[in-house]
Amino acid sequence: MSLNTLTFSVKGDAGAALKAPVHHGVVGSGDMEVLMEPKAQDGAVSVSIVTPVAGFDDLWKRVLQTFVSQSGLSDAHLDINDNNATPAVVLLRLRQAMTEAQAN
Amino acid sequence: MPKWNDLQGRSFLESNARDRAVGLVDEGTFTELAGPFDRFYSPHLETLGEAVEFDDGIVTGVGRVGVTPVFVISQEGKFIGGSVGEVGGAKMVNAIRLAIEFHDTLAAAHPDLTDAEKPIVVISFETGGVRLHESNAGLLAHAEVMDQLQKARGKVPVIAVIGSKVGCFGGMGFVAAATDCIVMSEFGRLGLTGPEVIEQEMGKEEFDSGDRALVFRTTGGKHKYIVGDCNYLVADTLGAFHDQIAELATKSLADFEAMRRIGSPEKVAQQLRGVALAAEMQPKDARDVWAHAGNADPVALTDMPLPDFLAQVKRLSV
Repeated sequence: MSLNTLTFSVKGDAGAALKAPVHHGVVGSGDMEVLMEPKAQDGAVSVSIVTPVAGFDDLWKRVLQTFVSQSGLSDAHLDINDNNATPAVVLLRLRQAMTEAQAN
Repeated sequence: MPKWNDLQGRSFLESNARDRAVGLVDEGTFTELAGPFDRFYSPHLETLGEAVEFDDGIVTGVGRVGVTPVFVISQEGKFIGGSVGEVGGAKMVNAIRLAIEFHDTLAAAHPDLTDAEKPIVVISFETGGVRLHESNAGLLAHAEVMDQLQKARGKVPVIAVIGSKVGCFGGMGFVAAATDCIVMSEFGRLGLTGPEVIEQEMGKEEFDSGDRALVFRTTGGKHKYIVGDCNYLVADTLGAFHDQIAELATKSLADFEAMRRIGSPEKVAQQLRGVALAAEMQPKDARDVWAHAGNADPVALTDMPLPDFLAQVKRLSV
């Protein structure tokens, strides 16, 4: 038993690039944290997720795709530490992080 | 990050560790050291398949209150109950070590520093003590923090603030007791063995951890204020804790020495008088002790608003 690391990339198109790196969230039970950093890679958003849960790779991809298409984020790298967060919580935390990044 | 002005009015109890760290010092002065982007997380948790956090559940940094440099340590209770492991412990140790080194450099260059200009350390506790997943590394971290507290003594005042959900228990209860000054809110809890552990070991007859009223009047801020385990009781806002730190920052080393609970033959004698009093009184409830301290209506103290409580409460003297 060890932690699972998922890495994949989502194609971003709209071009809302991050101005500065942002950190959001606390790894409580059923929660997660995310580091969002600007990274030039032809619009793509790369993601690295560390989670104790196995077998939800497709679901993670769908949630991240939803987030990227809704927020228009592009050219960024996301590092996520997850502790059994549900898809709704994941989407909420990512949106909050995005709001925080845009406020700065 | 929320605006500093909004943070000041926010509940300390409900804030997270990073917001507390930012709000405890003056506006815009907090700089995080070894923060999440440095990615110092626990290698032990990773091996065990447990979720990790980029700051290992402890926020460390430096800020300013008035003219006082403040080294801040803030524990996050939502991450594995605020438990202290190898990495988080090392962050605590090095924050205190930095404060001592900074004091020495500053004092050597400017021999005529006022009390307010000398650095202090503020530790916001939210923890049950050792992170059991990391066993010896976690225990060692506690010992090293104690070691730094001893080195800081008489040089850099260390202030404990406790107003969090988890409270301060286990090994970190000892650490808090070894600081120079403790500031609590009435929702803060301080002790060695936590309520659930007492019930598990000694049975529900001994201590019913489901009885919230009992738990709070035995380990909560009001009780600790009456028996002298905490020096100041403040309202549950980040602003109230910030203002108390601002007041303390100007105090002299002698003032801090007087606020300590341990560390001199006189303090030991005082503690022993407390033990003798407990043996003689055989209190059945915290309220018995409150009554002994001279509070005619101890039951009324529990739900009394803080300003009224502070105005009329009698504190135990032994």
